Amino acid sequence: MKKPCIPLGLVFSRSGPYAMMAGEMEKSALMAVDEVNRDGDFDFAFVPHLRDPRGVVAAYHSACDDLIREERVEHIVGCYTSASRKQVIPIVERTERLLWHPARYEGFESSDNVIYVGAAPNHTVVPLVRHMLDNIASDVFCVGSNYVWTWETNRVLREIVSSAGGRILAERLLELGETAVDHIVKEIIDRKPAAVFNTLVGESSYAFMRALHAASLRAELSIPMLSCSLCEPELKMIGSAASVGCITSSAYFESIDGAENRAFVARWKARHGTDNIPCVDGQSTYVCVMLLARAIRRAGTTDVAAVRRAAANHRYDSPQGPVWVDPANNHCFLTPRLARSVPGGQFKIFWEADAPERPDPYLSSLDLASFAKPDLNADTAAKRANHLRVVK
Amino acid sequence: MTRPSPFAVRGRRALMIMKDEREIAIVRRQLDRLGMSVVETDPSQLLLPRDDVDVIVLDADLIPIKSDCALSRKINVPIIALIGTETPSRLKWLLDLHPASFLVKPLRSAGLYTALVVAFDCAQRRIDEAAHVEKLEDRIRARRIVVAAVLQLIRAHALSEEDAFTLIRQTAMRYRTTIEQLSAEIIAVGGMPNRTSRTA
Repeated sequence: MKKPCIPLGLVFSRSGPYAMMAGEMEKSALMAVDEVNRDGDFDFAFVPHLRDPRGVVAAYHSACDDLIREERVEHIVGCYTSASRKQVIPIVERTERLLWHPARYEGFESSDNVIYVGAAPNHTVVPLVRHMLDNIASDVFCVGSNYVWTWETNRVLREIVSSAGGRILAERLLELGETAVDHIVKEIIDRKPAAVFNTLVGESSYAFMRALHAASLRAELSIPMLSCSLCEPELKMIGSAASVGCITSSAYFESIDGAENRAFVARWKARHGTDNIPCVDGQSTYVCVMLLARAIRRAGTTDVAAVRRAAANHRYDSPQGPVWVDPANNHCFLTPRLARSVPGGQFKIFWEADAPERPDPYLSSLDLASFAKPDLNADTAAKRANHLRVVK
Repeated sequence: MTRPSPFAVRGRRALMIMKDEREIAIVRRQLDRLGMSVVETDPSQLLLPRDDVDVIVLDADLIPIKSDCALSRKINVPIIALIGTETPSRLKWLLDLHPASFLVKPLRSAGLYTALVVAFDCAQRRIDEAAHVEKLEDRIRARRIVVAAVLQLIRAHALSEEDAFTLIRQTAMRYRTTIEQLSAEIIAVGGMPNRTSRTA
């Protein structure tokens, strides 16, 4: 028997500046749609309607307008950048539709008509900075792309680091897509910071990591690098040697050792090829479609208010572990993880939270006092003293 | 001079520093309805401060504006900020511009009039407060002169400090001048001047 059809909008820029990532996200959405449609536990089938705004911000508005008017969709999965999401929010709010947003973002937003499935800043930047302060350094050199993600991540970093008595040694910004990185690499080699915090995105980040790796080898230096956006497909693009050793914060790594993830990765490879690796944004898009399908099933309708209610607090054992929507702010409970990039385009996870963490998009629960370390200087001094020896 | 009422917006000039065509259309249409004139500027070619406008409508998502001469802190024209991203890092830049009021995007026809009234009122208060502060600063600067005049009277008339100051204050009131002005005259003539006419 043929299942009744539900139109589903998918808005991803398969062309334009972030086509690679958006392509991964669309692939994941379509994979989830196929799984829902084949699964007898769902008594409906999604009919995906694809739109490609080509990375043009204004085109997101018209793409969604078209999906709502022409295809009669009530639910849209999509958007990667905050600029595109901000274009879509007015139209989903006005027409009472729901946008399922897969990507992590910088926070400070909470629309009733968006389900934020990507990580909030308390899931990404906060645990990463805590790890840096506890285990690496309290003084850090920042390099990032000149846009809202970097500005906001660096602000949080600065607040936490200064509460812990550390310093931001420098904050160097590159325009999006810029690959002339030599001046920054030279400054880092000259100043030898204890850590580099990298919020560059795309080609800028790849060029920077390659150049810093080469320069560090020449100078016989090893400077720890931290990122809260690096993912598996990027490691491959950066190249094996330069991509190794980056400490990365994310709610998903392909190497998560759980039954759901192993099965997900196997299905992914069966569908996309054995050398194709799912990444955090792709997996999160898959989770979006699955959360939506489960909420529709529970609600027995596609009506937005009913689906939103059905999604709230309803646990889904996803590849990244248990995920559920917090009705207080429409963001998701997720498990933060830290990993180190290793040869073979993979991440080795060395820490994860004990349980999924409540989303805090406004970082209103961030307790800066908890980072203060009165004995940090004494410890560091002691460590340094161990390296000193009397030379006669 | 009577002050312009903040509610009277007709005839005032607005400068729009915005990029989004839909938002520009909304603001322009509403300003037209209010009888205001509109100047548009390309955000990348901005040359400010300029005095030929009464209010600036600025898309806060455009800041930081590259040409940093633009929108210097000294600008007296009130700024209405259009807020898209509410992240503190961006709001910090906005605070550096001392916005007089704001609107949250997406824009609607409602709200702009309130934002204008608040901005004009805020601008007038800033002018009043600046004048008040200047007056207070003048008085602080003149303290030295008042002290010198008090000492002069203490020496010349063998008065106590309290009596000398009371004499200056009462004389200044009688002549309808300020304590500072009278003190300057006391120092100039070496004693209490013999006034026959009121100065004010």
